[in-house]
Amino acid sequence: MTTVPLEKVRPLGKARLSHTAVFWIGFCAIMALLIVAPLVLPEFWRRFLTEILIWGLLAMSSDLLIGYTGMISFGHSAFFGLGMYGAAGALIAHSPPNLWLALFFGLAGAAGAALFVAFFSTRLRDIYFAITTLIFSQIFYVIIFTWTPVTGGENGLIFSRPHLWLPFLYDARFTSTTMHWFVLAVVAASYLFLRRITQSPFGMVLQSIRENEARTRAIGYAVERYKMVSVMFSGLFAGLAGVLYALQNQFAAPDFVYFLTSGDTVIYNVMGGIGTLVGPIVGAGFFQLVRDLLSRFFGDQFPYLIPLGMIFIVMIIFLPQGLLGFARRWLNK
Amino acid sequence: MTENWKNEAWADDIWYRGKVTRRRLIGWGAGAVGAAMLVPAPWRAAFGAAKPYKVGSEQPLSGAGAAGGKTAVVGLQMAADRINANGGINGRPVELVIVDDESSPAVARQKTVKMINDDDIDVHVGGFLSNICLACMPVWQDAKIVNMITVCLDTTLTTSACNRYSFRLHDYAPAQAVAFAPTLVKMAKKWHIAFADYSWGQSTRDAYANEIKKNGGEVVGTTGIPLGTADMAPFLSKISGDFDGLFAIFFGKDGVTLANQAYDMGLSKKYKFAGDGSISESTNLIAIGNKLDGFTAINRYIPVFDGALNTPYLHHFFDEAKKRLAKVDPSGPLPDKYVQSNYEALNAMKIAMEKCKFDSRDDTMKLIEALEGLEVKESDDFPQGDKTLRKEDHQAFIREFIFTIGNGTYHLQEIVPKEKTYVPPACKFQAA
Repeated sequence: MTTVPLEKVRPLGKARLSHTAVFWIGFCAIMALLIVAPLVLPEFWRRFLTEILIWGLLAMSSDLLIGYTGMISFGHSAFFGLGMYGAAGALIAHSPPNLWLALFFGLAGAAGAALFVAFFSTRLRDIYFAITTLIFSQIFYVIIFTWTPVTGGENGLIFSRPHLWLPFLYDARFTSTTMHWFVLAVVAASYLFLRRITQSPFGMVLQSIRENEARTRAIGYAVERYKMVSVMFSGLFAGLAGVLYALQNQFAAPDFVYFLTSGDTVIYNVMGGIGTLVGPIVGAGFFQLVRDLLSRFFGDQFPYLIPLGMIFIVMIIFLPQGLLGFARRWLNK
Repeated sequence: MTENWKNEAWADDIWYRGKVTRRRLIGWGAGAVGAAMLVPAPWRAAFGAAKPYKVGSEQPLSGAGAAGGKTAVVGLQMAADRINANGGINGRPVELVIVDDESSPAVARQKTVKMINDDDIDVHVGGFLSNICLACMPVWQDAKIVNMITVCLDTTLTTSACNRYSFRLHDYAPAQAVAFAPTLVKMAKKWHIAFADYSWGQSTRDAYANEIKKNGGEVVGTTGIPLGTADMAPFLSKISGDFDGLFAIFFGKDGVTLANQAYDMGLSKKYKFAGDGSISESTNLIAIGNKLDGFTAINRYIPVFDGALNTPYLHHFFDEAKKRLAKVDPSGPLPDKYVQSNYEALNAMKIAMEKCKFDSRDDTMKLIEALEGLEVKESDDFPQGDKTLRKEDHQAFIREFIFTIGNGTYHLQEIVPKEKTYVPPACKFQAA
């Protein structure tokens, strides 16, 4: 029989508390930096940072599927695009343009698409799931590209930006700074929500599906239903990223629905660290930053995709856990 | 010893007579800075090195539009070099800031913001793909920078999506349809239209269908073919019925595919074959060979010197552009409308900037007023011909050339004066 001395138990409790505290201190510090950033950054970098957050949200949404449920999706461009077109439709149809209506229609568009895709694809696994989502995204792309009277076809849609309207509190035109803060607030809230999901019993089941789907089913979980909900959550947040992109740039184009956007999303995940939620944001930032710096240093016509591809391959070989995974391992040394 | 060199007799002249002391250096330096600050700006402009005008240009140098984008840059560079060789604009040289939009609206938006904020451009002259032109128009408007569109063809740029800051110095589908429809109806009464099934193809189809009808003809059917279709046979094989003329609306490699497959399937022999001039662009003719013989089309620029086109201006433009194009593309393509419209757009900008004594972005409104209603005459600056940049929608009206292809080359049939291409304006500007 072994006895555990009382003083040995306390540090364990303390360690748990400090882990939570460290998380919140880190979160608040990063938030503070991101809040201050637009006040000190020049216009280009301010907008650049906002776009990184938007692409980061898209990548984070796909991490719920790739990193936590073990399903690689190439359909995120469709969810992102439908969020964007939903918001565009609301902004064009309603005068004056309304922010909350744009959010509602964008999310409804993405949720509808996610439900449709989830219903047909979650019965499939691995490569079959990936291919099915790819095909669905291409179907949405072709519809958007050719249905010119509604979607603007290849030209897409351009529209006015709504006011930042908080009922009874605030009503003013978006500036690049307030847009950054708005995007930051949405991305931070989405992160906290997704983090909560992944740490909930529901999230544990998703991770169980990722580890061993057959065993999860054998112990009585309705795996398909969990996968459907996971695809829907993921699609909803991808749609939210689409809405933010539409608000930031005042246009929606079919290029974003093309599967290459989904490919970029997977790359952001791999670069930043799959299954970390924050990693994909880091990956998106790293990708965008390297791309911009390469074209700044080597000229605008420099084929940056070649060195970027090489960096990607090197990272897969030497940093398979992505930048965040590597940072964690280094910090834990 | 080295410490005491100032005590030496030989050092007297250069030290104790005091040519350079730290105190004097600071004093003179401060005086010079102060004097420079007090010198009036006109003196600095007259006697100092003139600050160049930065002209931004967004072009697709990679991706789907790369081939056209590279020829467009040739036209722009040609105009900039000529302007600089002749003393610049208002005595200031022109510096081009060319960015590759990668044929992607998302990248284009980012780079537009970069041009505005980091490169601090004064005006923008460029834009090749219509979806990119449309995506960037609100950015130019927000930044209050004049945007002279050089290639984008989409009708809505100067109609429903127009804004006070954007101008187009070349033609658009409705004007070409007005110019071409009388000829088409003389060729055949009943037409079938095959078009690239996306926004440009669709809006061009509608423009021609309207004008053919107005001129007493009829469009009995249309066939949309998705962009980038490598094998058009399944679509072309369905084209049949009671009509005499086949009208095609394609560009780039789709134009080459259409021309080749319509010939192989006998369509171009069976029907009167006509279409948009983009199909028979000089860069396409190399790939098509003689398969397009008998094709009648309309374009704003063709590299021939028949009749009224035998002008010194067109010769100068052609010779210089051909020389420069050979450096970009060893196959030696002839100049096309992309080179022409970029060349002329920058020249028009120069005239307006001189007219309003444009200094910087702060003078954007003055520049807009100078461009609105601008009339230019056929010259070395505008070899294509006279132009009117209409105030109401910022759309230019220019002469058009109707031609047929024979033995793989152009044969001019008719020159339609700009007055016969007018279309009523359909643009409402928001308050600037």
